[in-house]
Amino acid sequence: MSLPESMSRIVIVGSKSRLDEVTTALFEMGVFHLIDHTVDADEGFSIGSPRPYSAKASERLLALRAAEKDLGIRVKKVKDPPIAVNEVEKDIESGRVETIHADVIAAIDGRNEIDQRITELKALKDNLEKLSKLPIDLGFYRGYESLVVFVGSVKSDPSKALDAIEDIMYEVSFDKTEGVVAVFAKKDIKDKVSLALTENGYAEIPVPDIEGSPAEMLAKTDKDIEDSQAQLEAANAKIAELSEEYKSFIAASDEELSLKVQEGELPLRIATSEYSFVIDAWVPTKKLESAQKELEERMGGNIYMEVQETRGRSMHETEAQEERFQQTPTKCNNGKLGKRFEYAVSLVSIPKYQEIDPATLVSLFFPFFFGFMVGDLGYAIPFIVLGAYGMMKAKSKDFQSIGTVLFFGGIWAAIFGFFFFGEMLGMHFIGPETNTTVTWESLLGVKLPDWFQGLMVEASEGEYGVSKLHEVTMLLKLSVYMGCVHLFIAYVVGFMNGVRMHGFKEGYLEKGGWLFSFLGMVVFCYGLTEVLFCPDGISASMTTTTITILIVGAAILVLGVASCFPKEGAQAILELPGIVGNVLSYTRLAAIGMSKAGMALAFNYITFIMMWQTIGGIGGIIAGCVVFLIGHLMIWVLAILSAGLHGLRLQYVESMNKFFTGGGVLFAPLAIKRKHTKNFENIETEA
Amino acid sequence: MAADLGMIMIGAGIAVGLTGLGAGLAEKDVGAAAVGAITEDVGLFGKAMVLMVLPETIVIFGLVIAILGVFVLPNM
Repeated sequence: MSLPESMSRIVIVGSKSRLDEVTTALFEMGVFHLIDHTVDADEGFSIGSPRPYSAKASERLLALRAAEKDLGIRVKKVKDPPIAVNEVEKDIESGRVETIHADVIAAIDGRNEIDQRITELKALKDNLEKLSKLPIDLGFYRGYESLVVFVGSVKSDPSKALDAIEDIMYEVSFDKTEGVVAVFAKKDIKDKVSLALTENGYAEIPVPDIEGSPAEMLAKTDKDIEDSQAQLEAANAKIAELSEEYKSFIAASDEELSLKVQEGELPLRIATSEYSFVIDAWVPTKKLESAQKELEERMGGNIYMEVQETRGRSMHETEAQEERFQQTPTKCNNGKLGKRFEYAVSLVSIPKYQEIDPATLVSLFFPFFFGFMVGDLGYAIPFIVLGAYGMMKAKSKDFQSIGTVLFFGGIWAAIFGFFFFGEMLGMHFIGPETNTTVTWESLLGVKLPDWFQGLMVEASEGEYGVSKLHEVTMLLKLSVYMGCVHLFIAYVVGFMNGVRMHGFKEGYLEKGGWLFSFLGMVVFCYGLTEVLFCPDGISASMTTTTITILIVGAAILVLGVASCFPKEGAQAILELPGIVGNVLSYTRLAAIGMSKAGMALAFNYITFIMMWQTIGGIGGIIAGCVVFLIGHLMIWVLAILSAGLHGLRLQYVESMNKFFTGGGVLFAPLAIKRKHTKNFENIETEA
Repeated sequence: MAADLGMIMIGAGIAVGLTGLGAGLAEKDVGAAAVGAITEDVGLFGKAMVLMVLPETIVIFGLVIAILGVFVLPNM
């Protein structure tokens, strides 16, 4: 459990002529979280304007992104070795971005032209195919003064209708559903012919402006299409070649120009006057000294720096500040394990600067609860393997954190499954077979050695491993106890947060009261269950011990409620059942474990007792194996969902609600992240 | 005894069945709203998930009662 890193506020003042150098230094050092200047925050200062080089860089970046899109390059996926920064800069200055853009546009235009030509040729081919059904040369379709020519497709045979008209010549080719017709008629009977054709579903075919027989032309067009296709392929190959040739430079210059744009736009976030600039920034306190020293070394005496404050965790201190300085960025400060669960916390909210980061608590309890709910060696091993694989290979944060939970949860599941529950795939290791259950001993027909038994918890005389379906009361109680511990820690952390943020008195009134209400409720309810569920009756259970427990519980409870009352009013009493609800909510740990054990029992019963023993034979054995595989796979998948979600819920709802406010802003320093480019000096030193 | 056991089983069934219905009714509304919210802003996933699983407690309580009934009561 740790607080976010302590932050100090620093102000850097200098002459505008040195702004570019300062900007580069701030970006390269990567420890300054800029505080945005707001309009009219300081008299005489206004928000600056972008640096002169910024506009050109933006323009080049735009051209570059267009080229990326055309070439299908995804900068994130480029795996080429990085290029030296000064080389990239030189290339960009010499206009290489513009050249590449022009090259790409030319290549893409060329391809589009060929594409267009192919479309046209295909349309022509389509027409020629239809016209080639008629024995008329293409030249005969035009050039008449007193004749009109109808050429088109028809949906029914127009011969009959055309025969009825005098003074026309026509050719028809019709097969079953469609046909082509060409009619040569005198201009004055144009309407008659048109009507006759329309009745037969006539649609005009544009006659291409070429000579020769359609069949010959068709062959020529086919060849043209083939040629164009070859050209298209060549054009595509050229584009692929360009993509391959330029991708390394494009990725590098994209990165370089993005950084330039970012640096160039920095003045938009700071205060400037006619000749000077003022930068306010947060710096992690532990890096403050080194950062100051480095900046001084880089800039000589040309800038003035002053540490304004090191922000404490008290809310009074924060509220006393100007509004733009109130929000302090959060830089999580967790160990290796806790770090892996920061993402899970950030799904709810980023911790505030003043409060304890719940990631460590989540990293301890989430896998523990997950493991308890799964509690089976057979399911644990694939979880561990899958989790380890996810942690090593997964790229996205979601899968990384799922992998982490599965890995550590799997380890807990293996520990609980073997030592506590003593079972694998829903079957106990030790014990005789009954008429509904089998054990590994009975299944394999061996007697496991005594030392093996000794590793497991002895649930009752001669019974090794706790049976999830027999020791129900014990498991439910255990879940409730775990809940009490988990909630107690949450209330204590809440109390600590309250005291730190608001001082002891306010903190006690806000959170301390709840801690006592919780403790009182737990003790009182414990006493109450001892009395109500005593096997010898209520009167026999009223011993001095139980009465003392009840009185102590009630006293702490009253103290807690009384402490909460001034702040919360009637809420302090109305929330009490909620505490019981929260504690009982942890019974899901046992309930989910049992539901999984129940399902496993059913599948094992079907497999071993119904299929193998009762039905038997090869068929029975194969069918049994299928049921066994599918059944356990289903339970395993369900385990991820139910144990995962419920484990997470216990963190989010039951635990974090007690102490976590969230709403922080992540520490995001000005920084240069180079992947496709590399600083020349670094390369030199490495070499 | 068999009749008692039968009553226990019926009781367990009612406990899980009714709480399941209750949780389902509650989650129906939460789920629809949650999906809407996540569509607008993926960052709300965590909060939406918390709200989504809140009503599940109802059915867990039902399940616990049923388990107590089926496994513990007959032995008392």
